[in-house]
Amino acid sequence: MDLATFVQLFVNGLGKGAVYALLALGFVIIFKATEVVNFAHGSLVLVGGYVVYALKDTLGWPAAALVGIVSAALAGLILERGLLANARSADHNSLALLTIGVDVIITEEIVRRVGADIPFIGDPYDSQPIQLAGVTIFRTQAIALVVGAVLITAFFLAFRFSNWGVAMRAQAENKEAAALMGIRSSRVTATAWLVAGALAGVAVLFMATQDFSGAGLGRGTHAIALIAFPAAILGGLDSTAGAIVGGLIVGVTEALSSANVDFLPFLGPEFSKSAVFLVMLVVLVIRPSGLFGTKELSRV
Amino acid sequence: MILRRRAGRSATLAAALASTLVLAACGSTADTPADTAAGAGGVKTDKGVTDTTITLGIMGDTSGVFKNLGAAINAGNQLWADDVNAAGGICDRTIQLEVVDHGYKADTAKTLYPQLEPKILGIVQLLGSPVLAALKQNLIDDNVTAAPASWSSEILNNPNIMMIGTTYDLEVINGLAYLQQEGLLADGATIGHIYIDGEYGGNGLKGSKYYADKHGMTVKEAKITSTDTDLTNIVTGLRGDGVTAIVLTTTPGQTASALAANQALGLNVPVLGNNPTFDPALLQSPAAGALGNLYVAASSPPFSSQTPKAAAVAKAYKEAYPGAPLNAGTNVGYVEGLVWQNVLTKACENGDMTRAGIQTALISLTAVDTEDLVGELDYSSPGAPPTRGVYIAKVDPAAEGGVTEVATVFTAPEAESYKAPFQEG
Amino acid sequence: MSEVVSEKAGSPPAAPPAQPRAAGARPRRNRIKIAATAVLVLFLVLLPILVGSEVAYLKVAQYILIGAVGGIGLTLLVGQAGQLSLAHPFFLLVGAVSYAVLAGDPEESDDLVGLGLPPLLALVGAIVICGLIGLAFAPVAGRLRGIYLGVASLSLVFLGLWLGQSLEAFTGGTSSGRTPPTFELFGFPFSNAEPSPTLFGVAIEKQQRLWYLFLVLAAISYLLARGAVDSRIGRSWRAVRDNEAAATAMGVNVTRVKAGAFVISSAFAGLAGVMTALWLDLVKPDENEFTGSYSLTVSIAFLAIVIIGGLGSVPGAVVGAAVVFGLQQFFLLGANEFGWFADAEFGGLNAVVLSAFVYGAAVVLVVLFEPGGAAAVGRRLVARLSPSDIPSAPRGGRSTPGSEPERNDDDPTA
Repeated sequence: MDLATFVQLFVNGLGKGAVYALLALGFVIIFKATEVVNFAHGSLVLVGGYVVYALKDTLGWPAAALVGIVSAALAGLILERGLLANARSADHNSLALLTIGVDVIITEEIVRRVGADIPFIGDPYDSQPIQLAGVTIFRTQAIALVVGAVLITAFFLAFRFSNWGVAMRAQAENKEAAALMGIRSSRVTATAWLVAGALAGVAVLFMATQDFSGAGLGRGTHAIALIAFPAAILGGLDSTAGAIVGGLIVGVTEALSSANVDFLPFLGPEFSKSAVFLVMLVVLVIRPSGLFGTKELSRV
Repeated sequence: MILRRRAGRSATLAAALASTLVLAACGSTADTPADTAAGAGGVKTDKGVTDTTITLGIMGDTSGVFKNLGAAINAGNQLWADDVNAAGGICDRTIQLEVVDHGYKADTAKTLYPQLEPKILGIVQLLGSPVLAALKQNLIDDNVTAAPASWSSEILNNPNIMMIGTTYDLEVINGLAYLQQEGLLADGATIGHIYIDGEYGGNGLKGSKYYADKHGMTVKEAKITSTDTDLTNIVTGLRGDGVTAIVLTTTPGQTASALAANQALGLNVPVLGNNPTFDPALLQSPAAGALGNLYVAASSPPFSSQTPKAAAVAKAYKEAYPGAPLNAGTNVGYVEGLVWQNVLTKACENGDMTRAGIQTALISLTAVDTEDLVGELDYSSPGAPPTRGVYIAKVDPAAEGGVTEVATVFTAPEAESYKAPFQEG
Repeated sequence: MSEVVSEKAGSPPAAPPAQPRAAGARPRRNRIKIAATAVLVLFLVLLPILVGSEVAYLKVAQYILIGAVGGIGLTLLVGQAGQLSLAHPFFLLVGAVSYAVLAGDPEESDDLVGLGLPPLLALVGAIVICGLIGLAFAPVAGRLRGIYLGVASLSLVFLGLWLGQSLEAFTGGTSSGRTPPTFELFGFPFSNAEPSPTLFGVAIEKQQRLWYLFLVLAAISYLLARGAVDSRIGRSWRAVRDNEAAATAMGVNVTRVKAGAFVISSAFAGLAGVMTALWLDLVKPDENEFTGSYSLTVSIAFLAIVIIGGLGSVPGAVVGAAVVFGLQQFFLLGANEFGWFADAEFGGLNAVVLSAFVYGAAVVLVVLFEPGGAAAVGRRLVARLSPSDIPSAPRGGRSTPGSEPERNDDDPTA
């Protein structure tokens, strides 16, 4: 592989990685606040995308996109307040299984509504690549990088300095102590799901494009959202910084392993889909809590 | 405890009694001969034929990755059936079509086939190489003759296949020859070939490898599955390999992705696609601006062709299905029917419209004329493609159906000399 | 099916002090139990007769049995041993491909590997291979806890996806796969070979023969699983599930127990995989991770089976399979044969969507309101039917709301 190709693939991967980072971040926020693995993250993505698709002709794309983000956020909120908070058994495994059930329902409904056309959602920046020093930068990915950087910075600032951020970190550290200190756990949890939903709504604006996935909104979009898992795990399920790093690593790995490698003929485009999950498996085995996660120790 | 043991013993007793009763009802089937009857007009019939109707099956794709093409092929089949019935039918019987949709999935097709098979004489359209491969043995076991809407030369050794047109490998050979003839390709070049694994892609690849071999070219392969959507990274890799042309044996969505990348990455090489790779709906997608480099090689003329019969079918389609997508599928569907018409007519002459009778009629046909909806077909040597010429079309947003014909029944010398896998002699 | 649950779930006898009081009720319950079992067995054996020529219904029933076998394996792993696993479809794929390779005709094709073993041997071989691969994954499982294990098992599905695509000599490739050889038992082929025996006048051809084969396989699986749950193995699983540290302190070899659970679960999945190959008449790896017979969708479907049935309950897994696998096929059948959903074109409901709604909703409802699943519902039904027999006070505080999810341990001493 020559340098130009490597650089191009790296840039391709970085762009996608920014979106993966957004997905992973939302995922990790939920986990940090509630220790629940949200299998319904793909559904939140689809909800946001569907609203944009449904409203873009009447409201115009920018307004529709905004409504989409809000809808995804609300979907997360409703899911948490309406279902998870009311579950009979509050243990994390059961709640994770609950999110599986919800995911099935929402995904099927949206895929049915969208139909077999797998429509693009009309992003105005799609398919207008930028040429920079011999490297092609896909506009969607470039914008995703910028938006992602802005959102992530804003998030980290809030996390460190705002009341909400402190409350979330406190609850993540020790739920009982935080409650004793007057932090309302239900409020923290609800806002965590709200923020995660919003991030998913932002991510879909980049995912259902020709540049990013070559396909519109459909079952494939939901499958892409699954990438949040290895990205989040790589970084450690309870580390927000790790989620960003994980997302970028996943994007670049995927891109580099997609191009054919002549001296390793059994690799290639087929392998790239699985490569990321296999890397995740290896990381999990070596460092079960991910690269940046907190280690759980138990000695008998 | 004793009560439980007694209960257990009683349960076993009950089960034993039940089993004995059941076994007593056993019997065996004596061999019942297949009910061949003499139908109206003294013609022998078995399945799918009554005194007034002949039922042919369609196993198509109207919900999967080839749904637009599939819908048009179904329409083409129906247009033919309507034309035949309007002219009095075949053997004094009307043609009826029984349609199922498998969505280009082999497992769905496997579950649909047993429900369809008892009702039909044969299959007028079987769309999809994967589906065909999965049903290959079923077709042989049930002696169902099928006209596939899939053109792999690997299936030519199956006597139950009525190939209409030429095969993917020959499409690619002819297409590459055309590109070279137009000066777009030179000896010794590197070609990239992106293909879906299985018989569709594998067969196309055979063609590009054969041609490359003859002209000192190198083929860089990239294998994908039918549901992959983003080919950007693959095309990036091909750019690094220095390709001067790309061949695609893919779905329309994947074609769009490859062409978009071809343009965005500044590669801008000519792209050759097999017949299923293009769908005019792509001209409405974000990749529309990048499609200009695509040439499509197919056995049937494009929708906008001025060949008289093709133009007539196009006109009838627009009248019957206003607003429906216009693509190359209509001609494919119509010519499938035409060939079946030839076979059925011959079978009627022979007085045998059983499944076996269809087989006999088929191999006796040596020069089927379809008014140029495909090249002239010769079915007398199983294993060899019945024809070798292709229609080549270039993407043209102004044309109906999205492509304009640039070559008619083009047959390159390499295509004549190519030996298909099961060709004898 | 609910009869199975109520009578099986009710089988652990009441605590001994209640016995003299309820002595009169027990023979009555036992008579009901025998009658119910007999009716069920008769129904299952005579199903091909009842179905007659509408063989499609038989195929639905066969598919339910596949779900039951796989579901039983998963409920043992997730419910009894407490190991969350999404990797079930991977073992289904391995089982199906192993069967095709072991039993495949070596002359069939130049591109495919086949060893030509007798089908029964190939079946057993496929199960063994799956068990061994489950064993290979066990050390990974040992290092990971809880949801991390679940996510790690996700990667096995992707591994299966990749191997399915690359090892075309074994799997036949993702476009069309390969046809598994017809199952034969000592020369008796499970196909439409003439002459076929008849039962009450109905010819026992391929689908009927497959039904009986599946029934036998499912019955064996069921009995083995029940045996494991009630035995020392089951108790060690539950000990590990409830508290690993305490289990270790009690002398349970946690690593070995976890490994054993994986081996057994993957063996069940392998059997389900062979059954899938015979049912579909096709072994075809998937083209992507979200649609196909070995995809994440199936992963989730199996989890749904286990949740709906009740974690750890073997009869519950059968109920779950009837709901999840049965409904989907049933609606598909209705759509194809009777034209249900026909007037709504794509924008409307169709079979797949409706069945997904039903089981998705079932999962949500179960977790929200009845974490013990169908098994817990069954137990409650039985309690209502024989009020004098079961003590009215909740046993061990299990039904207190808000506490840990009900265990379907079938363990009278827990």
